[in-house]
Amino acid sequence: MKLNIEGLLVYFPYDYIYPEQYSYMLELKRTLDAKGHGVLEMPSGTGKTISLLSLIVAYQKAYPLEVTKLIYCSRTVPEIEKVVEELRKLMEFYTKETGEKNNFLALALSSRKNLCIHPEILHANIVVYSYHYLLDPKIADLVSKELAKKSVVVFDEAHNIDNVCIDSMSVNITRRTLDRCQTNVDTLQNTIQRIKETDAAKLREEYRRLVEGLKEANVARETDIYLSNPVLPDEVLQEAIPGSIRTAEHFVGFLKRFLEYLKARLRIHHVVQESSPQFLKDIYEKVCIDRKPLRFCAERLRSLLRTLEIADIADFSPITLISHFATLVSTYSKGFTIIIEPFEDKTPTIANPVLHFSCMDPSIAIKPVFERFQSVVITSGTLSPLDIYPRILDFRPVTMASFTMTLARTCLCPLIVGRGNDQVAMSSKFETREDFAVIRNYGNLLLEMSAIVPDGIVAFFTSYVYMENIVASWYEQGILENIQRNKLIFIETPDAAETSMALEKYQEACENGRGAILLSVARGKVSEGIDFVHHFGRAVIMFGVPYVYTQSRILKARLEYLRDQFQIRENDFLTFDAMRHAAQCVGRAIRGKTDYGLMIFADKRYARADKRGKLPRWIQEHISDGSLNLTIDETVQLSKHFLRQMAQPFRREDQLGLSLLTLEQLQSEEMLEKISQIAQQA
Amino acid sequence: MAALSEEVLLVVKRVRQRKQDGTLYLMTERIAWGPEGKDRFTVSHLYADIRCQKISPDGKSKIQLQLVLHTGESTTFHFANESTALKDRDAAKDLLQQLLPKFKKKANKQLEEKNKMLQEDPVLFQLYKDLVVSQVISAEEFWASRLKLSSVEHSLSNNSKQEVGISAAFLADIRPQTDGCNGLKYNLTSDIIESIFKTYPAVKQKYAENVPHNLTEKEFWTRFFQSHYFHRDRINTGQQDIFSECAKQDEKGLKSMVVQGVKNPMVDLLSLEDKTLDEGYGSLTVGPNSSKTVKENSNSAIIKRFNHHSAMVLAAGLRKVDAPSDQASETSSTDGNSRDSDFFQPPIKKVKLQEAIEYEDLQNGSGPKTIALNLKKSDRYSHGPVPLQSHHYSTSQDIINSVNCIQEEISCYKPCLTRVMPSSAASSAITALSPGGLLMQAGTQQAVSQLVPTDVQSELKHLYTAAGELLRHFWSCFPVNTPFLEEKVVKMRSNLERFQSTKLRPFQEKIQREYLSTNVRLLLLVNL
Repeated sequence: MKLNIEGLLVYFPYDYIYPEQYSYMLELKRTLDAKGHGVLEMPSGTGKTISLLSLIVAYQKAYPLEVTKLIYCSRTVPEIEKVVEELRKLMEFYTKETGEKNNFLALALSSRKNLCIHPEILHANIVVYSYHYLLDPKIADLVSKELAKKSVVVFDEAHNIDNVCIDSMSVNITRRTLDRCQTNVDTLQNTIQRIKETDAAKLREEYRRLVEGLKEANVARETDIYLSNPVLPDEVLQEAIPGSIRTAEHFVGFLKRFLEYLKARLRIHHVVQESSPQFLKDIYEKVCIDRKPLRFCAERLRSLLRTLEIADIADFSPITLISHFATLVSTYSKGFTIIIEPFEDKTPTIANPVLHFSCMDPSIAIKPVFERFQSVVITSGTLSPLDIYPRILDFRPVTMASFTMTLARTCLCPLIVGRGNDQVAMSSKFETREDFAVIRNYGNLLLEMSAIVPDGIVAFFTSYVYMENIVASWYEQGILENIQRNKLIFIETPDAAETSMALEKYQEACENGRGAILLSVARGKVSEGIDFVHHFGRAVIMFGVPYVYTQSRILKARLEYLRDQFQIRENDFLTFDAMRHAAQCVGRAIRGKTDYGLMIFADKRYARADKRGKLPRWIQEHISDGSLNLTIDETVQLSKHFLRQMAQPFRREDQLGLSLLTLEQLQSEEMLEKISQIAQQA
Repeated sequence: MAALSEEVLLVVKRVRQRKQDGTLYLMTERIAWGPEGKDRFTVSHLYADIRCQKISPDGKSKIQLQLVLHTGESTTFHFANESTALKDRDAAKDLLQQLLPKFKKKANKQLEEKNKMLQEDPVLFQLYKDLVVSQVISAEEFWASRLKLSSVEHSLSNNSKQEVGISAAFLADIRPQTDGCNGLKYNLTSDIIESIFKTYPAVKQKYAENVPHNLTEKEFWTRFFQSHYFHRDRINTGQQDIFSECAKQDEKGLKSMVVQGVKNPMVDLLSLEDKTLDEGYGSLTVGPNSSKTVKENSNSAIIKRFNHHSAMVLAAGLRKVDAPSDQASETSSTDGNSRDSDFFQPPIKKVKLQEAIEYEDLQNGSGPKTIALNLKKSDRYSHGPVPLQSHHYSTSQDIINSVNCIQEEISCYKPCLTRVMPSSAASSAITALSPGGLLMQAGTQQAVSQLVPTDVQSELKHLYTAAGELLRHFWSCFPVNTPFLEEKVVKMRSNLERFQSTKLRPFQEKIQREYLSTNVRLLLLVNL
């Protein structure tokens, strides 16, 4: 159908539309009109991607000078491929409707094996790739730095974007890294020696270029051609490379000294935590390395590797890592912390020193993106509470909205189970998680559900270790045997290949009618990347609240930083983080309005307002006061009732006019009034 | 009666049957019993007719063996030789145990099928009762045309009988019981053994290798239950164990399954991430878990075992179906490859992607492909669970209110006399509506069904179908061009005559007796 979104002609490649899709496009258009950033939460399975693509492509066609490019970032390879497929569908629709040959160029980069050719990216109207191509400075510099300013950037499935930012800026150095660095340095030295004998002119040329400084890069950035790079700070661009590391030999010598220093730092027997300035002070006192040459380290190494015409850059990844660390630690006095641990907490007898250089501020990595591109849209099915993202990513959005799912029948059924039939409270909290009664009640819940839910059930645990313990305990108590009478059991393992196989078998068992249970882990690969649509997931059970492991020093440092810099209390952040993962897990089961699924939160803590309030609105509004602290029996009764209702035929006529609209229905005043209430501005 | 050629495998004396002493003979194809002193068998069952054998529990004073036949009848033998009764019984039992499965496969498939058809189709069953049981036609004649028909129908609806899958909990069903003196007893049935073999081919292989050359069956299973293999969570104690090889094979099988990878790219976790973070970057690098405790190791062994077990159970259920589906996917892949635009995308992937982005309710056109419901017992289906409806309950206050309301209305009701019908018109309308009246002529025809009690109706219906069936047989003989058909025509004619005399006449008379006054039309129908 062809839609009129506030005066913009939008081709939408379907015969019907969900009201929330219309509402979503409306908000999106307002964001683009304002040339600002937006945060939009839209329930999973309501056709978010196609709405996004339809609107932005239409916008590009209507105002080719205002928006020149769409950069669509998603998280996993299958998601990227899905976007491409939807885009293809949209383009086919354009061709069919207008009769014109499609002149839109879209480009998808997924996985390094088909890494793109750089110039093409500049001409494409749409680029679809993974987050890292934009957020990871090492890759962004290669792939994305010349993307036009007038681009719209979309981060889909962005609920974890802060972690991606942090990951891309954090560095871990072990003894092994340093040993391999040593080899790198030796290779560099030999190569330099050889070139000096055969082609000394090359090195002299490089020296001349370095004296000139990085002016070229600076010119480019000032004239706004490039996306800035957090590893290439502005100061570096304005100055020439310091003399102490200008010649190749001097630089290699410098690296050697730096390496020796790091090795010495790893020879410790107790945990050390320090800030960047402290580290710089120490390195100056011990080995007289100044801040300035450190800051140029990454750029200097790049230049050297280029000059030496080294083909296989991958071999030099350890030394590149160290050079990045050097530049980052000397550039940012805030937002990072250094933690050196002599051994793993679990095994205090085995020396395995690690230097963690952790980024605590996700805004550092994403800052260039917000600054450069005129519109950045952050969207996902679970972004609640909406206001936390602008705070931790440090940007000011023009639109922030959360959309509900209009439903002709309530196809999701969130239930909070707080007690077993013996009235013992169920919770995964630390004090009771080993409690026999809790584990047994969890087992009974799964057993009872396995008897009444058709096809597939997915259960998530708070961590892998916890799941292992519970599974062993259920095995001893004979609960698993009883579950097996109803369904086959598959379990996620730390091995991705093994888990993939288990997943496929799980789907097979759902497909052929046997029914199966998948035991899985929140924050794991399954919970982040696999959808359990229709019969692959008729119920999701979340055992416990998936808090992150709070004993880690890195996390503690980050929490402190959040408190000091953003005034976000530790507990608020931890709860937010736990709830977004819980919402991700349960949201996996619903895709679309013809789908249905139970969402069972098995922990009494979910009933509290501070937890419940952090669930996405589209889940929250279906939690009634009566389903806050259920026993297993009550849960089974409610589930049976729900499943029986859902099993009734559901036809298009049931939906039309309510949760599914024709073009005429969409145009009525009354409907437009209703639609305006779907989006809730934060 | 005993055929000379039959080889007698076992003779057990002093076996009582119906309180009579006698001798039990186990032969190659049947089991027979003859009373003492007589030279003939009063009991003789082909092995193929035996469904199963049952034995009395160990503690019982009477040592018995019961044979249950496919027909549902059973025969019980009581071993009465005091000193060797138990040994005799076990010898007979063991032999039977070996013999019965051989014949089970041969068991009359047709008989089973006939039985099934009769059970599934009440109409056919009635027809069978009317025609065969009352000896109007012989059973062979009845089935002659039926079976062909049904086998065609069957092969159309489902190629073969559906394989029964394996319960995932079959191992759990083997509950060990303590025998009171520090030992455990497991009860194995042939079903469980079959399940074990189907799920774990390695065990079957071991069984074939070792039983009965090295071990007796009992020893084999004892070792199985003692083995590390069965209790996978136990860490191997290092004892020599014939099943350790099975475990290794399983491990290998699991590995090869993992190495093969998955067909569906959407669940392939290995290629899920566009992995761009190099080694050393990232905030949460989990080091290699080299240091696992014994407990953790055993826990992960349990998890592995469950995954493997479920996969094997699933595979055992699918083994037969696998072959054709593989072929299908292969052919489709060659088709898919010819598309030039996305030739680099494997077709399965393409399909899965299409599936993943599809919103069925946003699109016009045919809904999802559904499979037509094939109902054997439609009444059971229609009397199944009724959709839940929110009932509207009225409160007592509502009722009182409405009663008041009606009272009020009645109290102020005034007949509007000008609009009343004249009495002549009213009486003519009543005549027209009375039985025999102008408007009721259609009604009398329906009345047959109301006037005649239901049992007569159903009897009539049965007779009608039976007659139809006979006539079908009769007419199917035409044109009569072979002597066989000629013979059949004659036979069918006599059948028809017999049917008329044994069934129709009595019914006709009965009707005449009871309903002479009511209706002649019925008779017409019957005489038809």
